[in-house]
Parts: sequence; C-alpha cells; structure tokens
Amino acid sequence: MNGPGDFERELEQELHRILDPIAAAPIPLRRARLSGGIMKRLVGGAGAAIGLKVLTGFAVAAFAAVAAGAATEVAVTGSLNPADWGQQVTQTVQTCKDTLRASGTRGIGPCVSAIAKQHGEQVSDSHQASKARENSGKDNGKGDGKGHDKGNGSGNSIGNGNGNGNGHKPSGSGSNPGSSQSGSSMLFVA
Amino acid sequence: MERVAEYQPGSAADFERLYRNSYRRILGTLVTMLRDRAAAEDCTQDAFERAFKAWKSWRPDAPAEAWLHRIAINVAINGQRRERLQEAGALVLRLGRPSPPADVAAVAERSELLNALRKLPPKQAAAIVLRHFHGYSNREIAISLGVPERTVASRLAAARGRLQRLLEGTRAAPKKNG
Repeated sequence: MNGPGDFERELEQELHRILDPIAAAPIPLRRARLSGGIMKRLVGGAGAAIGLKVLTGFAVAAFAAVAAGAATEVAVTGSLNPADWGQQVTQTVQTCKDTLRASGTRGIGPCVSAIAKQHGEQVSDSHQASKARENSGKDNGKGDGKGHDKGNGSGNSIGNGNGNGNGHKPSGSGSNPGSSQSGSSMLFVA
Repeated sequence: MERVAEYQPGSAADFERLYRNSYRRILGTLVTMLRDRAAAEDCTQDAFERAFKAWKSWRPDAPAEAWLHRIAINVAINGQRRERLQEAGALVLRLGRPSPPADVAAVAERSELLNALRKLPPKQAAAIVLRHFHGYSNREIAISLGVPERTVASRLAAARGRLQRLLEGTRAAPKKNG
C-alpha cells in the first residue's frame, strides 16, 4: 500500500472479496408491511399515552367528586356510613310524625320540609366553608407576590403560607416571622 | 446502479422489480455499517418497507436506487443507535438462532477492512462502499447521503484517509506485539 491509487485499488479488491459472496446470496421475499400496523399505532405509542392520561384524569375527577360529597355528608351527619345518612332522615321524619300525633295536628309536609331545608343549609354551609378555605389559599398566594413587590421582603411569603395552610384567616403579620412592617397589613387590606 | 430501468412511482410491480434489482447492493452497503449480516438484512427489509410506503412520492428525476440507499442509510444509522442501546438484549435474542452461513459470516467477521469501516462515521463508511464497491458517481453518492454534491469528494477523501490510518494501525499492532 504505497500511494493513494494503490490504497484505492486494494480497497476495491478487498470490498469485492468481502461483499461479493453476500451479493451472490439468494434474495429473500420482501417483507410486506410494517410490523404492528394500525392497531399497534392505536394501542401503542402516543395514542395510548394520551388515552391513559385522559382516563386517569376522569378517574381522578370522579374520585374527587365522590370524596367531596362523602366528606360533606360525614361533616353533617358525623358518620362515614351512607346507611347512617339515610337513617338520620328516617329518624327525623319519624320525629315529625310523633310530634304531630301528640299535638293532634295533621300534615307532615311542612315539618319534613323544614328539616330538609335545614339539612340542605348545613350541606351548603359545609361546601362553602371548604370552598372558602381553598379560595383563601389561592388569594393569599397572589397577595404574597404583591406584598413582596412593595418591599416587604421574603418574610411575607413564609408567614402567609403558614396561615393559609392551617385554614386560618390571615391576620397581618401575626404568623409571619419575617415581616412586622406595614407592608404586610397593606397586603391583606388590599 | 441500474440506470436504464424505468420505474413508475406507485406501481407495485415496478417496486418489486426495484427490490429484486437492488436488494443485494443495499444489503452490501448496510453490512459495512452494521454489526453483522443479520442486522444488515433486517435493516434492508425495513428500508424497503419504508421505501414502499413512500413509493408513490418518489420522483424519477433521482435514480431509484440512490433514493433507496438514502432511506437504507438512514435506517442503518437509526439501527446503529438501537444496537448501542440494546447490545445486551440483541445478544440474548441471537442465542439459539441458527448461525448464518459459515463462509460469509466468517469472512465478514475476520475482515480487518470491515472492522475498520464499522469504526468510521456511518455516512463515511457508506460513501466508501458506494464509490469503491458499487461504483456510484458523486451525484449518486450525494443523493444517497443526502448531502450536496460538492461535499462528496471531501467526505470521500476524509473517509479514505481515516480508513487508511485505521488499517495501518491494525497491521502495525501485531508487529509490535510480535
């Protein structure tokens, strides 16, 4: 292998020595289609990933709705068992009947209606309380940023975060270890 | 390269003819780029599948085999990446398979040139084979590698230089040891 020409000649000879036997081999049948096909594309890959995410999203949303309803009912009735919730209503109706029978008056409707209304208000209050807790958390999160801009320092974010996490009403710099200036109260007034 | 054959884009019969005419040359190119003949055969089939899917959009202004080579080289480059990632898995899969015909496999595995070619960047190895085995022109190599024609000569020179150094290194090593 002296010059470039020699090298190229040798290269060609060697390539033919190696590749000619391969080129002489019989040609196999051509593979007809990509393995998997349409079903694989639908079941696998990005489609499956997105489908799984959507399903998970629905499952989480459904679970959250059921859990929130159950939590409200537990808060009102004080029991985890749904049978107890129904039983409480039955007992209430029975109490209405007994009261009316004793007083000799007729018409159970207004009594049951009043109790149902009371129950509804309790449930509604419970919902609002939990919403208020969530909202106060969000609002205070926004407020922290403003306060910080007005020169209150990083103490605001720490203090307000603690207060909201515990479900307390924000109260100036009370739970805020890092700020005792007016910036903190301005934040909550705003 | 079959310059005379006329192929009609989208024609299944013409694609079958193209397959028969160019299968061996595509396989020959891929053998120099991939680990072994089995991997090269697999990638060749894969390349023809892809080419068949795109067959309707092939434009006869470029030689069909150069176009096929371009697809095959890209498939082989992806195959190389997969090989590196799944080296252990591939070894397990090969166990128990009937070994390829002894003559071809033995020659291929023993060849210093083949080992050196596999150490080159894939497109450089392909350029060497396209020029020195298939006898492609610069234009055909340019189509096959997906690079401008003016790049081909410099790429070929670089590939030859590197290959020569690799081969000299392999031949010098036993002398030193001996």
